[in-house]
Amino acid sequence: MGIYAGKLAENSYTDQGQLFKIKRFLADCSVTGQLLSLAIVIVIFAIGTGGTFLSLTNIQTIIGLAGIPMILCLGLHQIIILGAIDLSLEGIIAISAVIAGFVIKNPNTPYDLGMLVIPVTLVIGAIAGLLNGILNTKLKMPSFIATLGISWVMFGLAVFLSGGISTPLLDLRFQNFINGTTLGIPNVTYVAFVLFIVLNIIQKRTKLGKYTYAIGGDEILAAQAGINVTKTKIINFTIAGAIYGLAGLLLVARLNSSAARLGNNLLFPAMTAVAVGGVSMSGGVGGALNAVFGTIIVTALNNGMVLMHVSPYTQSAVNGIVLISAVALTIDRKKIGIIK
Amino acid sequence: MNAHAKQRMQIPAIYISLSMLILFLVIFFIGNPSFFKRYNLLTIGTSASILLAVGMGQVFTILTGGIDLSVGGIMSLVSVIFMALLNDYGLMAFPISLAVGVLAGFINGYLNSQLKIPSFITTLGTGGIFVSVAYMISEKPLSAPTSAFKMLDIVNGMSFGFKHIMFIAAGIFIIFYIIQRYTVTGRNILLMGSNEKMCWLSGVNVFWIRIIAFTLSGLGSGFAGILLASTLYSGYPTIGNVYILNSIATVVVGGTALTGGAGGVVNTLIGALIMSVLNNGMNVIGIDVYAQQSILGAMIIIAVAVSFDKKKVTVIK
Amino acid sequence: MDTVIELKKATKSFPGVRALKGFDLNIYKNEILGLVGENGAGKSTLMKVLIGMYQLDEGEYLLRGQPAKMKSSNDAIKEGVGMVFQEGCMLLNMTITENLFLSNEQAFIKNGILNLSEMRNEAKTALAKVELNIDPQTPCSRLSPAQRQMVEIARLLWLSEHYGKDNPVMILDEPTTVLQQKEADTLFRILDDIKKHATIILISHRLEEVIENSDRIVVLKDGDYVTEMPADQASVEGIEELMVGRNLSGEHFRESEQREPETENFLEVRNLTIEGVFEPMSFSVKKGEILSLVGLIGSGKEELCQCLAGVRRPTGGEILINGKNVLIKSPKDSIRSRIGYIPIDRRKEGLATDFDVADNINMLILNSLKSKGFLSRFKEAANAKKWVKEALIKTPSIRTKCRNLSGGNQQKVVISKWLAAESQLLVLDHPTRGIDVGAKDEIYHRIRLLAQEGRCLIMMCDTLEEDIGLCNRMLIMKDGKLVKILNCPAAEKPEPLEILSAIV
Repeated sequence: MGIYAGKLAENSYTDQGQLFKIKRFLADCSVTGQLLSLAIVIVIFAIGTGGTFLSLTNIQTIIGLAGIPMILCLGLHQIIILGAIDLSLEGIIAISAVIAGFVIKNPNTPYDLGMLVIPVTLVIGAIAGLLNGILNTKLKMPSFIATLGISWVMFGLAVFLSGGISTPLLDLRFQNFINGTTLGIPNVTYVAFVLFIVLNIIQKRTKLGKYTYAIGGDEILAAQAGINVTKTKIINFTIAGAIYGLAGLLLVARLNSSAARLGNNLLFPAMTAVAVGGVSMSGGVGGALNAVFGTIIVTALNNGMVLMHVSPYTQSAVNGIVLISAVALTIDRKKIGIIK
Repeated sequence: MNAHAKQRMQIPAIYISLSMLILFLVIFFIGNPSFFKRYNLLTIGTSASILLAVGMGQVFTILTGGIDLSVGGIMSLVSVIFMALLNDYGLMAFPISLAVGVLAGFINGYLNSQLKIPSFITTLGTGGIFVSVAYMISEKPLSAPTSAFKMLDIVNGMSFGFKHIMFIAAGIFIIFYIIQRYTVTGRNILLMGSNEKMCWLSGVNVFWIRIIAFTLSGLGSGFAGILLASTLYSGYPTIGNVYILNSIATVVVGGTALTGGAGGVVNTLIGALIMSVLNNGMNVIGIDVYAQQSILGAMIIIAVAVSFDKKKVTVIK
Repeated sequence: MDTVIELKKATKSFPGVRALKGFDLNIYKNEILGLVGENGAGKSTLMKVLIGMYQLDEGEYLLRGQPAKMKSSNDAIKEGVGMVFQEGCMLLNMTITENLFLSNEQAFIKNGILNLSEMRNEAKTALAKVELNIDPQTPCSRLSPAQRQMVEIARLLWLSEHYGKDNPVMILDEPTTVLQQKEADTLFRILDDIKKHATIILISHRLEEVIENSDRIVVLKDGDYVTEMPADQASVEGIEELMVGRNLSGEHFRESEQREPETENFLEVRNLTIEGVFEPMSFSVKKGEILSLVGLIGSGKEELCQCLAGVRRPTGGEILINGKNVLIKSPKDSIRSRIGYIPIDRRKEGLATDFDVADNINMLILNSLKSKGFLSRFKEAANAKKWVKEALIKTPSIRTKCRNLSGGNQQKVVISKWLAAESQLLVLDHPTRGIDVGAKDEIYHRIRLLAQEGRCLIMMCDTLEEDIGLCNRMLIMKDGKLVKILNCPAAEKPEPLEILSAIV
């Protein structure tokens, strides 16, 4: 038996000590680097702001701010694990937000679906995501252009339907929920947490999750092993779409008014968060926990810059640099072959 | 590339694009007979010129098999710098602004070659950075000083019944046409889009060719930024936003495949005409300006789906 | 003995090649079958037929007495026939457990979710059967090649049990190339154990290994079945003779056109090495000489060629061209030294197939086809026409896209491209791969002409006969070492047999 076990003595399962379990847990989650970068961000800003950054209020602020980006990031990372990309997030948010505005009680339309608006926006997002999936798999278009196209179509449609104006809402339940806190933690964080749990279960404990990782690892081998690649991809795009739809609704709720531009400038932070979290653009690596950590790091970074009075434009330039560097650090160049 | 070869290679795509152009002309003429009025044609020509400039750059990145999502950012940055310089530097504003565009493109290319990450990520990132820089220069729209109006006639004036911008666009087209057709670099860009591994094995410096392709994209966007700012007599950090969509649409509607290797500047010229006729026509017959974006997005999807060479790529991500 | 697989009149053709020429083959339960034959003998086609990746053109394939209906390797696995590929087909981003049960997780679903602990336990059991004592949660990227192989074997065993197929058939393609001797011993010990309830087909170039470890040996040659024998009656020499078989007629490779090389060296290689791939080696190539590199996969010959082509960088040694030391860091440098590289995969590495014949021929010398600083269409056409005529490229026009040409003509375009650039040394990586017989002869003729013009050629061919027939001299490599240099003058070509024994 010796030689087959030799190389991996540390991993032999006779070694079940506590330290080993922690090590394995960290290795399984592969967030060690993220914990480190978060620590660095915290230390820098804690010093830079003279402690304000670490105050309870500010931590609450960060957690609250991270809520919706985290939800978006959880949707997006699902596609990136596949080894594809989804640039349709802004468009899908726009269309679901505008339609949410139509069907929640408002002065412009006679509809009032009450809580039913939740499934409605989820379905709208899911349909848009389904379109992404179909274009990518059935029409064999590269995902970046298919999703970019869908984003433009959806955004144009959203502005067209809304006439480019925002609709105020008369049903305050949504706003009260989203801006409220429970046990000192913003409600939106709970939504993100539930989503995190659900996706984590999907990734770790369902066939869909395993297949998603297999496709991200090597699509051809996955197909050879008998995985229905097309179906798996379409389901993932649909799930991601539904999640963006949910985020659209939450954005509407937060402002208590709906508009197509609600999604603008959200793609960028979400992609940055995914990359910073350690979900590699080459696919098959990272998971929901990475997405969560990525969002917290990026949110903390931006919050810190605000506290230190960095100009908003410098902030977005910093984000661009962070995005490019994070992708460059996490991508597996051997796998991609020739980079276009 | 020989003229015959070019025609043979591109007849199908160009044919489709030309038919599309004619079809749109007919539809819009029926929808609104004043479509062919001289004033309207000049409007179309102006918007086509700007699209042509940005499309000429974009087509080179797409020919290598990449994409440049930062053209909007470059145009915005160039427009702001151009307006900021116009007052103090006069005519020198033109070359300086253009140089900024070229530099921005060079940065894109260098990052792509050096970091080896997909170009849509790098250019998405740098696009954001360019816009940020534009904002740092000026948060508010910068207008051309009245004293500079005369200077802007270089772009906006009329000669022989045409707007100057059209002559400039023709010049830009010729420059890019020569680069594609009569230079070794241009040929290598095309070959690299077709088979990068082979090019490397044949001693082509793929590192630099990619940088050059993106630099050319920066040059095109730089031209476009100057032209756009001149026609609007102002520059601001969001001025280029719609041109990300429009430049890609211009290229793919002209029949250049996203897989790289096939298509080129002639296709893009036709693409620019289609796009500007379509834009203008939709305005003239009264299609909501926001619905137009949906139509363009859908057109890109269709054009890509039709022209994408599925055999060439085994795994589509 | 009970038969598990029965092939009757198995025939399979590809454009230009009859890969399987219609033979019968029985494979029995509980045996280790050694399958041997040269490159191109039809082993890999046969294997792909067995695992359902190819369908027979004619003939029958009976699996456990029933006609086999599988359409993919995945179907085959469910029918209890699986293959461990040389390159491995494991998803490196996933754990052993995940890989073992991939696409067969149904068995572990409880209440809609996967029961992870049950999966882990099952994985432990499966790994124990191949004596693999590692944590099943280990990511596959951290496994050694030997361990990966074992996991794949464990997967095949588990699957056949899972699908209730007794006596699964497992095909191992060159399993020992990536293993140390000790690991290989362990592998065969385990295989011997597995044999009690499975059939194993062993493909290997290492004949001693096959004789020692299999029960029965089948020899293939040129897509046909030659003979079979019990392993205990086989000898390495006997099998080699069968593999090489008939002596080819003298003119097959245009031997009469073979000339003695000039006395002057063009290329000299001194102590060239890539650490861990091939050991320092020295040799020289004279002007007008055809040099063949012979050796198995992993012998280092491919990497040696890549060093000359600038694809890989050597870690030590010198390359001298015309007596001058040159530094080859990239393909560009090797082109500057007048070395041309004709790759094995024409479509992916040799040509821009969306471009026309002229564009491909001219691509290396564009700088010389200018007039007044710009590319001249006229000069391009003239140069392309010259080469189309010279190399006898059959094409409707110089403006025909290369993807529309036959393999032989594509190869001529690639060669012309390098000749146009005045390459003095051509490195030919399997120049006749996938080319039909008539075009092969034209390529041979072209190779002879090039040598007569005083150019040097370094070749790696598809078959040993081709190497022997074409070359003036032969470099035999084994396990990263240069073991022998052999002269092959036209009159007295060496016997394949004596070379084969040096290779394996």
